[in-house]
Amino acid sequence: MLSDDHVNEIIIQKLIASLIPMTSRDRIKAIRNQPRTMEEKRNLSRGGLTITTEDEGRAKAHLTWWKIVDKEKSKQTHHILQLNCCIQCLNSISRAYRRSKNSLSEILNSISLWQKTLKIIGGKFGTSVLSYFNFLRWLLKFNIFSFILNFSFIIIPQFTVAEKNTLQFTGLEFFTGVGYFRDTVMYYGFYTNSTIQHGNSGASYNMQLAYIFTIGACLTTCFFSLLFSMATYFRNNFINPHIYSGGITKLIFCWDFTVTQEKAVKLKQKNLSTEIRENLSELRQENSKLTFNQLLTRFSAYMVAWVVSTGVAIACCAAVYYLAEYNLEFLKTHSNPGAVLLLPFVVSCINLAVPCIYSTFRLVERYEMPRHEVYVLLIRNIFLKISIIGILCYYWLNTVALSGEECWETLIGQDIYRLLLMDFVFSLVNSFLGEFLRRIIGMQLITSLGLQEFDIARNVLELIYAQTLVWIGIFFCPLLPFIQMIMLFIMFYSKNISLMMNFQPPSKAWRASQMMTFFIFLLFFPSFTGVLCTLAITIWRLKPSADCGPFRGLPLFIHSIYSWIDTLSTRPGYLWVVWIYRNLIGSVHFFFILTLIVLIITYLYWQIAEGRKIMIRLLHEQIINEGKDKMFLIEKLIKLQDMEKKANPSSLVLERREVEVSLEAALGTPGTRDLRFRRSVQEGNPRA
Amino acid sequence: MGNKQTVFTHEQLEAYQDCTFFTRKEIMRLFYRYQDLAPQLVPLDYTTCPDVKVPYELIGSMPELKDNPFRQRIAQVFSEDGDGHMTLDNFLDMFSVMSEMAPRDLKAYYAFKIYDFNNDDYICAWDLEQTVTKLTRGELSAEEVSLVCEKVLDEADGDHDGRLSLEDFQNMILRAPDFLSTFHIRI
Repeated sequence: MLSDDHVNEIIIQKLIASLIPMTSRDRIKAIRNQPRTMEEKRNLSRGGLTITTEDEGRAKAHLTWWKIVDKEKSKQTHHILQLNCCIQCLNSISRAYRRSKNSLSEILNSISLWQKTLKIIGGKFGTSVLSYFNFLRWLLKFNIFSFILNFSFIIIPQFTVAEKNTLQFTGLEFFTGVGYFRDTVMYYGFYTNSTIQHGNSGASYNMQLAYIFTIGACLTTCFFSLLFSMATYFRNNFINPHIYSGGITKLIFCWDFTVTQEKAVKLKQKNLSTEIRENLSELRQENSKLTFNQLLTRFSAYMVAWVVSTGVAIACCAAVYYLAEYNLEFLKTHSNPGAVLLLPFVVSCINLAVPCIYSTFRLVERYEMPRHEVYVLLIRNIFLKISIIGILCYYWLNTVALSGEECWETLIGQDIYRLLLMDFVFSLVNSFLGEFLRRIIGMQLITSLGLQEFDIARNVLELIYAQTLVWIGIFFCPLLPFIQMIMLFIMFYSKNISLMMNFQPPSKAWRASQMMTFFIFLLFFPSFTGVLCTLAITIWRLKPSADCGPFRGLPLFIHSIYSWIDTLSTRPGYLWVVWIYRNLIGSVHFFFILTLIVLIITYLYWQIAEGRKIMIRLLHEQIINEGKDKMFLIEKLIKLQDMEKKANPSSLVLERREVEVSLEAALGTPGTRDLRFRRSVQEGNPRA
Repeated sequence: MGNKQTVFTHEQLEAYQDCTFFTRKEIMRLFYRYQDLAPQLVPLDYTTCPDVKVPYELIGSMPELKDNPFRQRIAQVFSEDGDGHMTLDNFLDMFSVMSEMAPRDLKAYYAFKIYDFNNDDYICAWDLEQTVTKLTRGELSAEEVSLVCEKVLDEADGDHDGRLSLEDFQNMILRAPDFLSTFHIRI
């Protein structure tokens, strides 16, 4: 019978043996992920381990890294010894690199925003509401990065050749964006198209190329960052989507440890009890089959609701389009400075009112699962917002750009600025006035309503809408990320204050991780890809205005790149750039072959995933069978023991637990501890 | 970061950095939190590795833990002798596992131990009853509690032996992607 200590010693020896061939970085990671006490981990990482075994008076076995490495060294020949020295050099380099990475992450953590505030929010409201604020903080990082890039590469050079601003400044510019701001670095029209050259040193700065490359770099980084985040979320949250996730087990085992406030914890316990009761009663209820009539009524209710909601969305889009056209005509004849605010005002009103109308459809439609209701509402709101942005882009690119106005890019920039600002003002008014009123109504007037709960989906959609506008507007208004930065900053504090004053913690479990994955996907798929399409159409199809901006006079925006390639092809040192352009970027064959390769790889990975799903199912069945086998054998053993005991009353009888343990040892099925080691070794192994 | 602190030797701090998910600054901040719990008990000089344990009552009174229904189990699981009194090593270990950088398997392992009230490496029906009672604070009747335990065992018990092993628990956690964000204490 193996003693606990002996088993532990064997496990540690196996662990050390598996850790030796790893690089030191992977070794540290593997040790850190071990579910062992600090003392054991420290000993492992230091490389010195004292194993004492008491039975049979065994001497202390003392294993050290250096001893093993030395043993290996003495067996090697001379030139491999030199290789070991190189390896040791590399080890010390990697250690220094690790230390610098640690200090860098320390610095980043110290400037991490709002840690304390997020802790308080999480303490009172839990992880689900916290996910909204984390999303806001994540979007803020995008804008900070875009602003830094724009500022360094296009705004600062423009400042050095800025012309004097002859317009007057009135306070109204903050709202309308016209007037004084038209001739500042805020808009496209102010930027020069010349090659900036200071002094006779000859270092020249081509503003055209700088503009297009900076915006391109901004958007490319956003693209890869979004892709990377989306992939990480998908990997963490969609491991086994086809296996039905049990409802009540997750309620029991996923208690929210971030909630620390006393009242919030009590409320959460009460809400959890209610949810458990609902879950239990769903079980007890028979699955009532609906009659044909009821099915028909329900189906027709769904159809009517969908038709009405789509109709409302299309009607709003048409209204926005005609209003925009009418506004353009109106502004040509009259010059009322406030009239430009009409369109943003109407759009914000639509964004505020129509989702409320959509949520009243809940009274007509009845869904079996409340989750479906949330999804349907979400899809309708997304459709509304995306179609409004779509119709506005169509209006901008088709009407404004071809209208023959003097500086149409600046006009589009101003439009986007006004939309963004109006949206922000509405959101502030909603936070301070609307939610406050709702609290008064809920607490004093109609006390049965109570406090409202934070609608995470609606708020996140608003953030996505604003960010889409910012991305579209970056080309026409390079200062827009800065403005959005300030707005997000203010919005964080206003939402926080309103949350603390006017809201109660959520009553139902909200699947925060899955919803966040969905929202990031949303940010990527209709939002960012739509932005890319719009900008692609702008650059490849539209004619820049003739006398403002960095691309004035060119037939198309893209001609700046064409002429650059032409100038490069005359210089012998840069012919490789021209080659890459002509044969890789500009060639159809290359993209065809690339697409084919990507499709083949996708298909192969898809088949591998299918195979793995089958494997998981088979292994799952095998686990069930093994469990049944184990039960059967244990029963049999105990029965045999009973028979033997009846025959021979004085023989040794094992307890059931000891029967299990000896059965496990005999069959070689792993116990808890061994599996712990096995899994940690798998985790620690460097991924190919 | 200069070596201005006199609490730990350089090697001790490096070892802590290697064994937990915290940076040097966070380790120092955690040490001062630990020290604040019992200023007379915890010395300001750990270079001699003093053997100091802060009693459970003080640990359980921390604002991050004081209203958590499982605070006693958490302290017991991470303490050296299973009695809830924690040394600095245990303290750092606990918050390192509960931080957002710990991987899912590590958290699942410790969550399993927390919910395993009788420490027999399995979550049996009695453990589940204790868990549900702590979670609902007496709101559910005894019959409802046993119904819940039955349903949980039905859903999660993979090898049908009437209790949850670590593998069953980890398998169930895989289907609950929220676990990583909810099993998290911010300090």
